[in-house]
Amino acid sequence: MSREGIRKLGRMRRILLALVAVGLMGCSSGGGKSIDSKGGSNEGFKVALLTPGPVNDSGWSAMAYEGLVAIRDELGAEISNQEARGTQIRDAMRSYAQRGFRLVIGHGFEYNEPGVELAMDFPDTVFVSSSGGKTSANAGAFRFYLEQGFYLAGAMAADLSKSGVLAMIGGPKVPSIESTFKAFEAGAKATRPSVRVITLFTGQDSDVAAAKRATLEAISQGADVVIHQANAAAQGVFEACREKGVLAIGSNANQNDNESGVVVGSAVIVAKPAFVELAREVKEGRYQGSIRLIGMEKGAIDFVLNPKLESRVPEAVKQKLAGLKEKILSGELIVPKDEF
Amino acid sequence: MDAWLAILMFATPISLAAIGETVGQRSGVLNIGLEGTMLAGAVCAAMVALWSGNAWLGLSAGIAAGAALSALTAFLCVSRPADQVVVGTGVNLLAMGLTGAWFRSLFGQSGKLFTVPTLPKIGGLDPIAWTVPFLALGAFVLLRRTHFGLALRASGESPKAVEASGRSVFQLRWVGLLVSGALGAAGGAHLALVVSSTFAENMTSGRGFVALAMVTFGRWNPLGAFAACLLIGYLESLQFSLQAAGGGLPQELLLALPYATSLLALALFGRGGRAPAALAIPYRRSG
Repeated sequence: MSREGIRKLGRMRRILLALVAVGLMGCSSGGGKSIDSKGGSNEGFKVALLTPGPVNDSGWSAMAYEGLVAIRDELGAEISNQEARGTQIRDAMRSYAQRGFRLVIGHGFEYNEPGVELAMDFPDTVFVSSSGGKTSANAGAFRFYLEQGFYLAGAMAADLSKSGVLAMIGGPKVPSIESTFKAFEAGAKATRPSVRVITLFTGQDSDVAAAKRATLEAISQGADVVIHQANAAAQGVFEACREKGVLAIGSNANQNDNESGVVVGSAVIVAKPAFVELAREVKEGRYQGSIRLIGMEKGAIDFVLNPKLESRVPEAVKQKLAGLKEKILSGELIVPKDEF
Repeated sequence: MDAWLAILMFATPISLAAIGETVGQRSGVLNIGLEGTMLAGAVCAAMVALWSGNAWLGLSAGIAAGAALSALTAFLCVSRPADQVVVGTGVNLLAMGLTGAWFRSLFGQSGKLFTVPTLPKIGGLDPIAWTVPFLALGAFVLLRRTHFGLALRASGESPKAVEASGRSVFQLRWVGLLVSGALGAAGGAHLALVVSSTFAENMTSGRGFVALAMVTFGRWNPLGAFAACLLIGYLESLQFSLQAAGGGLPQELLLALPYATSLLALALFGRGGRAPAALAIPYRRSG
């Protein structure tokens, strides 16, 4: 090979390496820290939150961040939050524990195992993950039973649909999202066994265009009520529904007042009370490692109709929803959920 | 018909970026910062459209932001002989950080869903998407049939010869980078204003990198790059149809379909393609 050829080869390799590096950095973008305190000293009560994505996703991570802010406002805690995925999780947890944080919340099942492991090294820090199955004296999980909200949404969607086709649009295909989708389908099928439910994943939370495209595809296949688990990309779902004149259902946060005007109801997590309660237990030294299921009976999960679109929901359907809520609260109806 | 228009609409952001980047790479500069440039175009377009209520103003602001970023790149990589890969990486990180921070400062830490004004539609498609095929053709004619295009290509193949003929390599590469930046940002603006009618942090989701791959796939020919983008766009929509049909294939596999197919196509048909000889090599004037 000529010298020129070798030089070129070296250059190509350098470019490839740089591309890989950029790709990796892209994955961990926004991994920055933000510390926010209200008169907290070093000796104060410190609480940290780790999220799988940016906290401005208007969904899963945003809800946890709002819970964290409530901990600051109601308990006077010093708070800090950070994005952490994969190998970053252990490092982030360890560094918070070393800096004297009393409570480290990991918002996802993937934080459960690292938390339980690190809990042995840091007995003064409590590690809690949102869902997950392992515990120790100072580590555990709390799991929001969002499946209950999705079940009710499915029951209503099946009644509202004229075509008998519903759709669920998800970002990345992860167990927590799949579990809520199964509950939606169960609710829909219980109402109307013949209903068809289309499931589409875009693979990414930030890709609004892909969410819109997936929704348009589902609508072109006949779907006329669409629910999502697309977090920051949800606007793409709503826009597609608005363009094609079909109804949408919001999730995680109450998205009924979305500008698109197509959100007929939302399956909501009210995370603040659960977050504050958890932090209060840790602050008062009462926390015991456990796995808690937080659902409708604690007021943490709900399905809320949009008052502006209530005319689209027949009285009989409203009554049925109320009846189903009743049954869930009394324990007569147990909504299916996956363990992960 | 509707489905084909939708494919063109969804392929427009990547197509604009790939056509611009083809011109840029032909001049000898590799704009690794394309992803960041698209993102900057998207956020500026969305914010200005939101404030002014005018999508055209938003589009112009987005393009201006992209041109500014590529002017920065051009200053470092053309006027100064900085490494194009390093600078491009820096531009990406800068844009991701700045757009995220700006977005959070406007809409709060926990974000907000909102819509921005969009462009009018003519015959079922926005004006930008309609111009893309002509833009690809125009870039092709510019590169292949004009003296300026010849000089631009020469600056990517043999800059010394360009310099000897009395033209300035620096000038040609500045033009190449500005075209790449402006069109990349226009792609980002289209993604925000037309395709999504909103902005979300990191909403380009790797489209800039895909556009870079499409330049290679299209063999450094604007028409080829545009065709490659349409093919990817078609495969993406096919992927969602297959997912919806639920034929038993794993969804993870289907999500990778467009990229796996283009890799395969590149491996099978990419042999004739050859990168400009002086691509990514900083030009230094010698005595």
